[in-house]
Amino acid sequence: MTITTSKSSQEKKVTRFDNWWFLVIAVIALLLILIFLVPDPYQRIFVFVQNGIGTTISITGISFLLVLILGLLVALARLSKSWIIKGISTIYVEVVRGIPMMVQLIFWYFAFPSVIQSVGKWLNIQAFVDYRANPVAMAILGLTIGYAAYMSEVYRAGIQSISRGQMEAARSLGMTYIQAMRYVILPQAIRVILPPVGNEFITLLKDSSLVSVVAVADMTRRGREFQAAHFLPIQTWVMIALLYLVMTLFATRVVAWMERKFKMEK
Amino acid sequence: MEPIIHIEEVHKHFGAVHALRGVSLDVEKGEVILIIGPSGSGKSTLLRCINRLEEFDAGRIVVDGIPLDTAENINAVRTEVGMVFQQFNLFPHLTVLDNITLAQKLIRKRSKAESERIARQLLEKVGIPEKESYFPGQLSGGQQQRVAIARALAMNPKIMLFDEPTSALDPEMIQEVLDVMLNLAKEGMTMVVVSHEIGFAKAAADRVILMDGGQIIEMAPPEELFDHPKEERTRLFLSKVL
Repeated sequence: MTITTSKSSQEKKVTRFDNWWFLVIAVIALLLILIFLVPDPYQRIFVFVQNGIGTTISITGISFLLVLILGLLVALARLSKSWIIKGISTIYVEVVRGIPMMVQLIFWYFAFPSVIQSVGKWLNIQAFVDYRANPVAMAILGLTIGYAAYMSEVYRAGIQSISRGQMEAARSLGMTYIQAMRYVILPQAIRVILPPVGNEFITLLKDSSLVSVVAVADMTRRGREFQAAHFLPIQTWVMIALLYLVMTLFATRVVAWMERKFKMEK
Repeated sequence: MEPIIHIEEVHKHFGAVHALRGVSLDVEKGEVILIIGPSGSGKSTLLRCINRLEEFDAGRIVVDGIPLDTAENINAVRTEVGMVFQQFNLFPHLTVLDNITLAQKLIRKRSKAESERIARQLLEKVGIPEKESYFPGQLSGGQQQRVAIARALAMNPKIMLFDEPTSALDPEMIQEVLDVMLNLAKEGMTMVVVSHEIGFAKAAADRVILMDGGQIIEMAPPEELFDHPKEERTRLFLSKVL
């Protein structure tokens, strides 16, 4: 009985999954139409912001990878029995979540290097005095530290949703805590957290546009540069918006596909 | 001969609740012990202290010569002690076969082929060889519990702990699990069982323990405890369950 029900619900998902891909294709088609049928100004805008697309994708990708790792470590720290580890990780999450992402990014790019330089002067370390911030590196650092706080909460909720008996069964077989996490708890938790993790990825992709204020030539910054030079605000921002939309819609579909794949394995 | 489980004056508190009040017990190798008692009497807590799933506040437990003190010793004890839970606690994301082979590969360092051979032997033994590629969610409660027993046995434990193994089962599935346990007892496995299955106790147990209020009230061979209980509290409890 239960098997039949789950099968029919899977079929439903397959259809829904197919339908929404049309939205991705439609937006891509619209982009292509604009670029090839109205090359002036759309192709010019596209060519101008092209390297910004790569920057946006790589900053988002690298940050997200680091967020996945740091977020897991913070989540495990928050579940730790040691009150020191738990306390430090809780303070980190609360502080970072309480400060706007834009302010954090500005801090890492403008204030953090000054801190290093001051420390260098104070301790007489020439390498610190000469320190200059790399905009891309600082943007990735800022996004990672900011988003890992949110991601750790997603992980924590996922881990806590798995019944305590699972950990007990694994430990009673002689597995260490890490083995039990790796082979028993996390594989189950991933199924639970996949939708919110996908959500975090899409939010991160959109928030990566904030790095345009700290000297990173991402899509948004390239758009501003084009607008400043050519005064075509409508066309420029329609183009930029469509480019972000293609990426986020595509990411949503990939997450939906992964969700479906994990469910079927079960 | 040294007892295989030595429990000495163990105390355990859950907040303000004094769950175990100085429990002492020695279990000999090959013995089958059944623990009964009202809910909240500390019987499950005592069982869970034997493989340190529950930390105790005072006292000493030594299993097969290894004291439960350091993290290393606790893990060493856990590999020698199999545990079966009321809620089965099979790993729902793994097939029956993978449930039984996972810990063998990780802890016993057995090859895939070797651990699968052992898993299939055990599935044969618990009577469900045809279910190896099923997921736990596709099995009945009785079948799941038998897989859980096979999973524990795959580690070649010297002791098996059963925490109310039939309480979550539909009545018609209880016997198939008890049969597997009876066979284990016949083979000479040391077993500590928290359960109210009086029939199993009479057929297999060497001693039955009645716990209440975190203490052992009475301990005797099954026919003596069930038919001629000495303590008033034992009589009171038996009158409710029999």
